[in-house]
Amino acid sequence: MRHQMLCPPAATALRFELEQGESITCEVGAMIAMTSGLTVETTTKSRGGSGGIIKGLKRMFSGESFFLNHFTAQLPDQSLLIGPTLLGDCVHHSMRGGTMIVQGSSWLASTPGIEIDTTWQGFSSALFSGESMFWVKCSGGGELYLSSYGAIHSLEIDGDYTIDTGHIVAFEDTLKFNIGKASRSLIGSFLGGEGLVCKFHGQGKLYYQSHTLPSLGALLGPKLKAK
Amino acid sequence: MGRIAILERFEHEHEQLDAEHEKQQHRSESHVLLQRNPAMVMPASRESFQGGVFHASIPGGRSGATLSIARGELIADTISEPSMRFSIPLNQCQIDLGGASNRMVFCRTKEGDLTIFCEEKNFAKELDFQSGGMLAGPLKQLKKGLAADANRFRFWLTFSAVACALLLFLGYFGVLWTAKIAIRALPVSVDEKIGTMAFSGMEMGRKLEANHPASRLVQEIVDKLKPHASIPELKFKVTVVEDADINAFALPGGQIVVFTGLIKEAKSAEQIAGVLAHEMSHATLRHGIERVSQSLGIVAAIQIMVGDVGGLVALGAQVAQTSILTSYSRAAETEADLEGARMLNAAKIDPKAMADFFEMLKEKMGDLPDAMAWISTHPQHETRVQSIQDHQKKLPVVQYEPLQLDLKAAQEAL
Repeated sequence: MRHQMLCPPAATALRFELEQGESITCEVGAMIAMTSGLTVETTTKSRGGSGGIIKGLKRMFSGESFFLNHFTAQLPDQSLLIGPTLLGDCVHHSMRGGTMIVQGSSWLASTPGIEIDTTWQGFSSALFSGESMFWVKCSGGGELYLSSYGAIHSLEIDGDYTIDTGHIVAFEDTLKFNIGKASRSLIGSFLGGEGLVCKFHGQGKLYYQSHTLPSLGALLGPKLKAK
Repeated sequence: MGRIAILERFEHEHEQLDAEHEKQQHRSESHVLLQRNPAMVMPASRESFQGGVFHASIPGGRSGATLSIARGELIADTISEPSMRFSIPLNQCQIDLGGASNRMVFCRTKEGDLTIFCEEKNFAKELDFQSGGMLAGPLKQLKKGLAADANRFRFWLTFSAVACALLLFLGYFGVLWTAKIAIRALPVSVDEKIGTMAFSGMEMGRKLEANHPASRLVQEIVDKLKPHASIPELKFKVTVVEDADINAFALPGGQIVVFTGLIKEAKSAEQIAGVLAHEMSHATLRHGIERVSQSLGIVAAIQIMVGDVGGLVALGAQVAQTSILTSYSRAAETEADLEGARMLNAAKIDPKAMADFFEMLKEKMGDLPDAMAWISTHPQHETRVQSIQDHQKKLPVVQYEPLQLDLKAAQEAL
């Protein structure tokens, strides 16, 4: 299977070239176009993995959908075009064991070797990280595709690193983050416009987004007329 | 962006890896044991764990790995193809706790160039066992951290459970309480609707004609008391019903029912006036609707709060069917006694007549024992008489006028 990013980072779409028998699991509604030799199967399970209704419900909590779409190539040389709901970037992350913790709604697609589950990151993270209460946990080996509003940048952390709340896309489970103040004093943090931040510690890869949707909403919201 | 062939890139990375691999093997001071053929070495650990490795030589710098502990070394075989073996002597392990779950154990070399990590529960235990207590210190530290974590989690769980319960509790009673206030603010026309519906649904004896002497007598008393009612717009309607019980009751909105038994037993028209004043007070004090609000369920309370008065009326009528509407609380009875006394006094009728009537009831029916009086909804007759007499002293002094009504004729007509 090969992939190609089209028009990154503003209006990214992903194009997959699938050989006969290869398959990919995508977020519901992500498909833009596809060749006729692909079959679509909608289930609550990840391909070949465990799952079912409970996992589907858990996924809904994290901001993903209840169902998953599995695209399988029945003929050689098939192509599939998928894209995220919002304008923004997509990234590809190769997994060889281990776990990636993904912000709800950022998971776009993955190959069958990756198990998709939901995880809870503690109360402070749930309340103050600016992300959804639950996170999507991707584990195993395979190719993982993430999407986000704005551009996605990546970083190898070894030690400490600070990210503003709401900008996290995904991070490896060898990293841990705490919610903290941006500057030493709490008042200073808020006056500086940064408020609370996510302080990462450990070793691993972090993906973060350049823009966040809530900040666009906060700008536009007051200018909209009430219906 | 051009087309990327992942597999091609992998191959390229592996070439780079081979070159780096060569370099690694030349570094004699390295603690890192790097073997390309893991099948040659048999793992001696009883258990193997799923974890991972960080090392510069791995494509991408990280890989999942199968971990085992043997001969004083922590060994990691990567799951990537081709598999690579890394190891750290336990006596050189630097232990650290972290990761997204804060339960991941990291073992690092002193130089920090190789990290082996694992999240499995028994990993720390096995590490402790195999190291022969060498790592007891740092592992104890880890355990402490985990315990603190668990405690914090338990605290928050309890806290949120209590908060949820409290919120539910407050919400439930908040809605009921608000509904009660809302009911009080409803217009009297709602009382009237409930009263009319309840009245038509009640099973009673034969109703006397309006021009029957007994009906006329009762009507005249009501007409005399009416101007002194605390709610002037209330329309009082009296019905005399054939029933031997010495009883009368008021429905919300001013429907009053008097049993013929009461008229027969009354010693004077003033005594009947006393009972009527008491029943009229139930209506003006809106005890009926208060009773409805007391028997409100949460659903009805919400209905009222969103403005569904029709639901309330239906509920009130339903409550009336079960005769709850006419059995008021002790406090309500006493309140009606005092308000009745005030009305009688204002209408120039001696409130003593009401007390006399209760006195007569006491003689006729006997009194409840003291202990029972506490449980009964009706105040003990003796207490009632006393409280009416006490209250009378506080009322303005007026010249009482005897009622010019022919009770005898009415009694004989029955």
